[in-house]
Amino acid sequence: MDPFIHPIFGKSIKKEVPFYFNGELLKAREGQTVAAALMANGIKKLGVSRKLQQSRGLFCANGRCCSCFVSVNELDHVLSCMTLVEKGMKVDSNNGDPNVRGEKNGD
Amino acid sequence: METDLLIIGGGPAGLNAAYEAASHGIETLVIEESFSMGGQLRQQTQVLDKLPKQFEKQRGTTLARTLIEKLSTLNVKVLLKHTMIGTYQDGRIGVSNGVKTIPITAKRIIVTTGAAEEASVFPGWTLPGVMTIGAAQILMNREYVQPGKNALVLGSNTFSLEIVKQFKEMGVTVRGIIESNSELISKHEKIIKSIKKDGIPLYLNSYIENATGVGEVQKVTLNHNGITEEMNIDLVCIGKGVAPILEPFEIMNCSFTYQIRLGGWVPQYSISMETSSPSAYIAGNAAGITSMGGILLTGQLAAVSVAESLGFLNEKLATEKRASLWKELHCIETTADLREVFNARMALIKDYHEEANLLPSSLFDLSLEEC
Repeated sequence: MDPFIHPIFGKSIKKEVPFYFNGELLKAREGQTVAAALMANGIKKLGVSRKLQQSRGLFCANGRCCSCFVSVNELDHVLSCMTLVEKGMKVDSNNGDPNVRGEKNGD
Repeated sequence: METDLLIIGGGPAGLNAAYEAASHGIETLVIEESFSMGGQLRQQTQVLDKLPKQFEKQRGTTLARTLIEKLSTLNVKVLLKHTMIGTYQDGRIGVSNGVKTIPITAKRIIVTTGAAEEASVFPGWTLPGVMTIGAAQILMNREYVQPGKNALVLGSNTFSLEIVKQFKEMGVTVRGIIESNSELISKHEKIIKSIKKDGIPLYLNSYIENATGVGEVQKVTLNHNGITEEMNIDLVCIGKGVAPILEPFEIMNCSFTYQIRLGGWVPQYSISMETSSPSAYIAGNAAGITSMGGILLTGQLAAVSVAESLGFLNEKLATEKRASLWKELHCIETTADLREVFNARMALIKDYHEEANLLPSSLFDLSLEEC
């Protein structure tokens, strides 16, 4: 974990939350977004773009740009910057077209 | 779901509008697409002065809490992680919670969607490690994560320079500020002086030729007055300013106008902050990029007009209240170096009143008055 000390707010005393990224067990701080938790673990590449297969990561951190999407608990195309990390959450890279029209999504 | 007033956006403009409206007894519903209220205030550690007179000088993060706490005893309902995605033909607003769409019947709507950061495109700009300057601020102040170790900042507006100052405190080394113009965009003398004192290299007449790296940004080629230089960088922050977020206004068929001083395309609105779409009002940065004082005051202005139109405030009181709020807005925007913003705002309103055959307003003479 990142031993980050904020110059104004001091050290984060939020408790640790375990979660998985591509099967690997990682630790986040409670209240962090998935994108930030991954960056705190040194992971910047969240997946590849569907058409040109280029690396993607956090860009706007504000839910506008769709650069940081991942799968969360097998739901594809979730914005990692707008999703708070939860205990045991399974996060996976999206490396192609998201399966948004499949049966599992209710269509 | 039914409500008197629907506010789209739980940032400073929306929260202050909700407070004003609910104080008059209006049943108010706020929808917010994020997981918490406060909008961009949630990561603003800057101390905000030049706020409306009922607010003390305070940090943005504190102001977010202040605004949220003020709503606790009022008739305001908040739906987090809810996004406006469309309108029905009968005027109801379609709001999605990610699983289903909820139709909302509202007598009035105030849209406070705020502003989004502009991108800057160069080869390699999509690499992880290239992000907006606002994203870096979110990582530091909301998420307690260092965004990188060696940074280049593209763009030299005041916001970019404020974050550059903060980078130093966070252990991020700024290897340069790159500006395509021949002078810095920011005119904030105190910050510029401090940045020069810190010895942060300023590259004027410069641009990024490309960014490269395997899986994330590792190298940036800079073009400085025609001379190229390669740098080892793991963070590139794009600080090219912000523009109003317009989708809900487009969905509601609002008319637009172009005002570069307000951030580009903006919805047209009247002196009451009403748009060309019936019953829809606007406030905050969506109505033109301004300071926090302007964001809060336009929220209050829209709410006063909604209170009048719903019969919670009589015409005389509402007109008086609007006049005093416009005077305060005028004073804040002219002293906060935003005189051009205020003038552009008044020009927009004047045009709209003429086009829509609305009554002219004595408030148009405000800009001549001294504060």
